[in-house]
Amino acid sequence: MSLKTALSRIRSIPELQKRYNIFINIDPSAEKRLVDNADKELPLSHLVAGIKDNIVTKDLPTTCASKILETYQSPYDATCVRRLREAGVVIAGKTNLDEFGMGSGGIHSHFGPVLNPLYPSTKITAGGSSSGSAAAVAAGAVDFALGTDTGGSVRLPAAFNAVLGFKPSYGRISRYGVVAYAQSLDTVGILSKGMPVLRKVYNVLNEYDSKDPTSLSNDLRKKANKLFKEKGKLRIGIPQEFLQASISADYKNLFFRFIKELMDMGHEFYPVTIPSVKDSLPIYYTLSPAEAVSNLSRYDGIRYGTRADTTDIENGTLFAPTRANFGREVQDRIILGNYNLCSETFKNNYVKAQKLRVGLMNDFDEIFRGPNIISNSKGNVSGVDLIISLTATGPPSTIESFTSAENSSPTNEYLNDVFTMPMSLAGLPTLSIPLGNDVPLGVQVTAQFADDETVLNFADRIVN
Amino acid sequence: MLRLKRWYNVDKIQTSKFKLLPQYKLKCGLEIHTQLNTNKKLFSQSTNDPFHSLDTPNAHTSYFDIALPGTQPILNYEVVLYALRLSLALDSKVNLRSQFDRKHYFYGDQPMGYQITQHYSPFASGGHLTLHKDGDGINDIEKKINLIQLQIEQDTGKSIYRDNEKQTLIDLNRSNVPLIEMVTQPDFTDLKQIRAFIKKYQNLVRHLDISTGDLETGAMRVDVNLSVNDFARVELKNLPNTSSIMNAIKYEYQRQVKILEAGEGEEYLSHSETRSWNGESTVKLRSKETTIDYRYMPDPELPVISLSADVIEGVGKSLPPSPDEILSQLMTKPYSLSLKDARILTISGNSQDGIYSQVELLKFYLDTFDCYSKIVEREGLGEVKHKLPTNWIIHELLGDLKKLQIPLEKATAILSPEKFADFLTFIHSNKISSASGKLLLFHVLEDFQAHGLTKQINFDELIKEYELQTIDQVNEADLKKLCQKIIEAADSKMINGIVSGKKRNSIKFLVGQGMRSSQGRIQAQQFEDMFKELLCSNNE
Repeated sequence: MSLKTALSRIRSIPELQKRYNIFINIDPSAEKRLVDNADKELPLSHLVAGIKDNIVTKDLPTTCASKILETYQSPYDATCVRRLREAGVVIAGKTNLDEFGMGSGGIHSHFGPVLNPLYPSTKITAGGSSSGSAAAVAAGAVDFALGTDTGGSVRLPAAFNAVLGFKPSYGRISRYGVVAYAQSLDTVGILSKGMPVLRKVYNVLNEYDSKDPTSLSNDLRKKANKLFKEKGKLRIGIPQEFLQASISADYKNLFFRFIKELMDMGHEFYPVTIPSVKDSLPIYYTLSPAEAVSNLSRYDGIRYGTRADTTDIENGTLFAPTRANFGREVQDRIILGNYNLCSETFKNNYVKAQKLRVGLMNDFDEIFRGPNIISNSKGNVSGVDLIISLTATGPPSTIESFTSAENSSPTNEYLNDVFTMPMSLAGLPTLSIPLGNDVPLGVQVTAQFADDETVLNFADRIVN
Repeated sequence: MLRLKRWYNVDKIQTSKFKLLPQYKLKCGLEIHTQLNTNKKLFSQSTNDPFHSLDTPNAHTSYFDIALPGTQPILNYEVVLYALRLSLALDSKVNLRSQFDRKHYFYGDQPMGYQITQHYSPFASGGHLTLHKDGDGINDIEKKINLIQLQIEQDTGKSIYRDNEKQTLIDLNRSNVPLIEMVTQPDFTDLKQIRAFIKKYQNLVRHLDISTGDLETGAMRVDVNLSVNDFARVELKNLPNTSSIMNAIKYEYQRQVKILEAGEGEEYLSHSETRSWNGESTVKLRSKETTIDYRYMPDPELPVISLSADVIEGVGKSLPPSPDEILSQLMTKPYSLSLKDARILTISGNSQDGIYSQVELLKFYLDTFDCYSKIVEREGLGEVKHKLPTNWIIHELLGDLKKLQIPLEKATAILSPEKFADFLTFIHSNKISSASGKLLLFHVLEDFQAHGLTKQINFDELIKEYELQTIDQVNEADLKKLCQKIIEAADSKMINGIVSGKKRNSIKFLVGQGMRSSQGRIQAQQFEDMFKELLCSNNE
């Protein structure tokens, strides 16, 4: 974390940007800021960060990779951004993403797709939706980046770019200033190459915020600190539902070799089963588009953002001309969300999905040894401390094949998140760890709700 | 064949001739939106002041109020307290776990594209407000109006249409102002009940100090649902004041009666619809085919409003007695007020010129009454004259304060209830006459207005200083002399009338003259006796 490294990162950005389309807006004064603050001794001094462009900043536009917010400038900083600045971080720019966080390939951006820096000569997807954040870290443009994870949007691109991607427990990091996609799931996450930086950043951001109604209260934080003590040898579960036949033999071998190493360290392994995991995809694609359509209702062009030139009304529908500026994937989810919320189908879809979501949370509670401070499950005495699974079912695809699969059926893209969604629905702390240098393969390590420390302590010991 | 649709319009509302017909039964329910006068808005820290700032649009708007990306709602618990007060005053059952939902529809003055309300799990359900013949002026002795529910929700912004410029201006000062929506059962069967209910509900929210309750400013807005002979209900909207509410109901009733008289109820009145009042008639806004699906969704980030029974009980205990309780207390002993005077002390109007609030006045009255009756008892001055405090407070004191534009609150600096009770005691025991009392009271207040509070009032000294004390021992000869002077100065025709007995009542005029020249210090009866002696003794 020297000034020299920081400067070289910032100076590398224009070239990296040309190659991988990592950023939507780059701060031209980042270098000056870095030099101006060079002498300050702050917890995160000399660290350069990328911020996903759905987190608001008052010095750079926040576009959400959407035409509808193409030139939007927020008058305030998100709480997480403010905390980073106060801790000495210099923000290099706003990273590219799938529009409003919707997508898993990093290709649904009004500003063009992000390319995966692990493949300098082929056009491979970076994963999404925090595509630019993961690529920025992988390419060495920044020390760390903030992303958001609603169904896997931090972990999947982290795996595809061979970096660490941490989605803390829901409510740990303030969402104030994070443009909502589906706020019962949205979680700010941290991507970096090494654990020391990731941990330092997490320590700065892991604070209660009175501006976020879903922020984990200080009482609950204290309760979690008391409950979850550091353990040496862990009981680790391998959920059967995540060992799908579709996983390639190569991946399976790498995964089992990793488990073997952990066993050699003295950790105990158990097969576990989470039956409701099979419901995750339908739950997720019922609830998240419903919340999304609601959250996206504010984009009418009146107060800010892009507004249709000539008229606000088309065929009797208010704001239709302006809202036609949403990208195709966003429009698909708006239609799906509206369908789920229709008064005729609400009970069969939304309400049912909410019930199934509670069932999934209960299933997770049954396999963990520790209690859940929110659901008040006491914990299973013979349960596990962590569960481990692959982050993705396979390697990232080329932009071309991703696009054609998606064109044949939009739901193909949804399948990429099948391993990451269950943890989002239960709000569990999960870290995706790369299985090797420059190998686009990650394993995700998950603990009981609010037991983020066990995940991070475990990773401290095995990463690098 | 082309079929012509008939339009049932009533040419003119016959306000004066309007009558409910026994064979066409009217059934109405009300939906009342009330803006709460909390300091801050419902989900933000902006100042809640939707009217004061009409000329400074969009001044009271936070990032949340204008729906900037990344902003979040933070519930203002003051609103919950206000909602609790109202729910308990209406005997409504408070939901220990109520929730917020989003109601989606696009409009220029709806910045989030949805309104946060309580659809699936409202704040309170059930309850009632009971109307009485005495006090509320309805036909039945008593009429109980049952409530369906109360819910907390956000107000929208305001659109100002400039048709000429083809522009709509949007003011978001009102956006996110807290509202309580209260819905009644369709229990109303005539117009008097509706009028009385609105008045009573309005008075209740003022009494609880949770809203100004003004219809004129839109702080309270009333929608009516109406059906005739149990046909589909029609919702009436855009009713800015009591007269439009009444006229719209009259119009709509007559319109539906016309349809029913033509035997076409099945055709025209079997689907519910929403109609708007345009000042002259009701016009269709939307019907079943064009209703909006609001796609209600539980708000995914606002916490459940979780209340404990203790909190509810505590708030219940802190409520003031209801206006009905106060009214009946004032009309029974020891106060024994007339309905009219009791209402002045109980009803919170909005046209008191800033001179006093109902709460202040009631307190002043009760305290004064208390002090006065204690003095009477302590000093053995006989029976308490129960009308004395109201007469002097409502009729005399308020009149003076209005004339001099002194707020009651300020006047109590020199005229505390104790002082005013002292003053009443002088009148009670005939130490000064009413006429002198009036002069003295006005003088004291005028002096206060001119010079402020210079020293504490001592009525005893003032009465002596201005020689206002009634003369108990009138010198008979002096009185006779004074009366003779008055007779001499009076019109001789009138005197003859009195003497002949034809115009005996004219003697009152002479008494008045006497009172004036003695500045009220000699009692009227003594004058009357002397004039009778001088003028009428020959006839008897």
